[in-house]
Amino acid sequence: MHGFMKKDFSKLNYYEMLDISPDAAFFEIRHAYNAALQIYEADSVVSFSLFSPEERKKILSLLEEAYLTLINAQERKKYDEELMQEGVIASEKDKKITRRPVCIYDIKRQTGTSMLPKKNEKVILRESVVQNKKINEILSGPHISGADFKEIRNELGVPLEKIAQETRVRLDYLSCIEEDKIDRLPVAAFLKGFVKSYLKCLCVEPADEICARYMRGLPGAEKQAG
Amino acid sequence: MAQIWPIGGGKGGSGKSFLASCLGRLLAGLGKKTLLVDLDLGSANLHTLVDVPYPEKSFSDFIRKKVPLLADVVLETPVPNLYIISGAHDNLDVANLPYEQKIKTLKAIAKLDYDWIMLDLGAGTSFNTLDFFLVSQSSIFVTTPEPTSIENIYRLVRAIYFRRIRQYFTVTEFGRLQDEVAQCFGEGAFNKPDLIMEFIRTNHPEKCSLLEEDFSSFRFKLVLNQLRKHNNIALGPQVCNIIEKHLGFHVDFAGNVAFDDRVHDAICQRVSFLERYPYTRTAYDLRELSKSLAQSAGQQMVIPYS
Repeated sequence: MHGFMKKDFSKLNYYEMLDISPDAAFFEIRHAYNAALQIYEADSVVSFSLFSPEERKKILSLLEEAYLTLINAQERKKYDEELMQEGVIASEKDKKITRRPVCIYDIKRQTGTSMLPKKNEKVILRESVVQNKKINEILSGPHISGADFKEIRNELGVPLEKIAQETRVRLDYLSCIEEDKIDRLPVAAFLKGFVKSYLKCLCVEPADEICARYMRGLPGAEKQAG
Repeated sequence: MAQIWPIGGGKGGSGKSFLASCLGRLLAGLGKKTLLVDLDLGSANLHTLVDVPYPEKSFSDFIRKKVPLLADVVLETPVPNLYIISGAHDNLDVANLPYEQKIKTLKAIAKLDYDWIMLDLGAGTSFNTLDFFLVSQSSIFVTTPEPTSIENIYRLVRAIYFRRIRQYFTVTEFGRLQDEVAQCFGEGAFNKPDLIMEFIRTNHPEKCSLLEEDFSSFRFKLVLNQLRKHNNIALGPQVCNIIEKHLGFHVDFAGNVAFDDRVHDAICQRVSFLERYPYTRTAYDLRELSKSLAQSAGQQMVIPYS
């Protein structure tokens, strides 16, 4: 309980008038001023009948003075120094670090997994697919197998785990495809999807055509097609 | 000792009796022995809200010494655990309770053996109402979101303040004090409790510290009743803030109670609103209010009338 009618309104300091702490940020000051106006302005229900017109005028002018002082960085510093000399508020070194608004999105951020670098990564990947001779050789052949996929991947230096993470295809399926373990492959319908995701993840294009070529090369493909 | 909750608020029609009856029913429903006392002397009607249409005993019987104890005029209501002292069928001059009778009543109320006692006070700021307010450190102010009602809350707070200061002085002392304050701050200043307080601080420091301690022990609560959907829901906290800043009383905001036309219907049909319309916003607000009151039990009963 903070005493009883300690001070008249005009004797409060600006921070007390606006009900804010001495380390309030500018947006808090603006907010507090708006809230105070809601309470004290002439047609407010809250303060109805509590003040005479003269008293209200005085309070409103005090609030304006408080707001204009605190919202101006230079004026505020001067005012704070006065208060510090009177010992009303703690001096600079005891003061907590001023809170400032914090960005929700930090667009300057370099590290991490935000959208922008990821896009760059894909662009680089696509360029190296186009430029790499060995990959082009593999892709231009009539047949393509799991072992070829593995070679392409190794050329690009992308770990299999990363593909599994990005495509959400199980790691053991992916390695079966690469090792050409025919008997352990999933059924054709799933296999097609997995291979396409794998190729898209590595930015190897055109994924549909390469996938079809791979499926034709699998034993029993004729039987399935028939 | 009983928790005594005077329920008041300057303006008539703001829902004091309705609130008292609902809180009484809810607290009784929690298994607390609850007593409602209708102290809206001269215009009592609380009995109707708790379904006791023809009270056979009333507060007047105690005042007229028909019965020796206040406990003798307590009536049971159809609600389990809920009791009432009705003010119905009283003499037409009971509204002007003489001072001795009032003191006798206050002492008798303090002696009653109940868990909760809710005092339903009348509108206005007569000395009777103010003294009934000051029987407890925890009172409930009821206001509606209208300027008329809010105006009367400030009026009531100032009057309570004034009355309390008055109780620390004798009649002649207080008369002199008022004259001195008027001289010091100009005509009309004795109507401003804050100026009187400032004067006391410089001229009667020992009384001032007593008064300050006294005032800071008060725990008033504000209920904003009949809040319509389009009203500003922050109004209640704002009113509390301004009372604290400009009148020096700490008032807790206890909650909003939504407006509902069906309250009127329930009163007309003379049934309990809470039972008839339990799933309304208003009923929900009332239940929340009763819960928060039940939790905020504090020290009470300081009666400087011995």
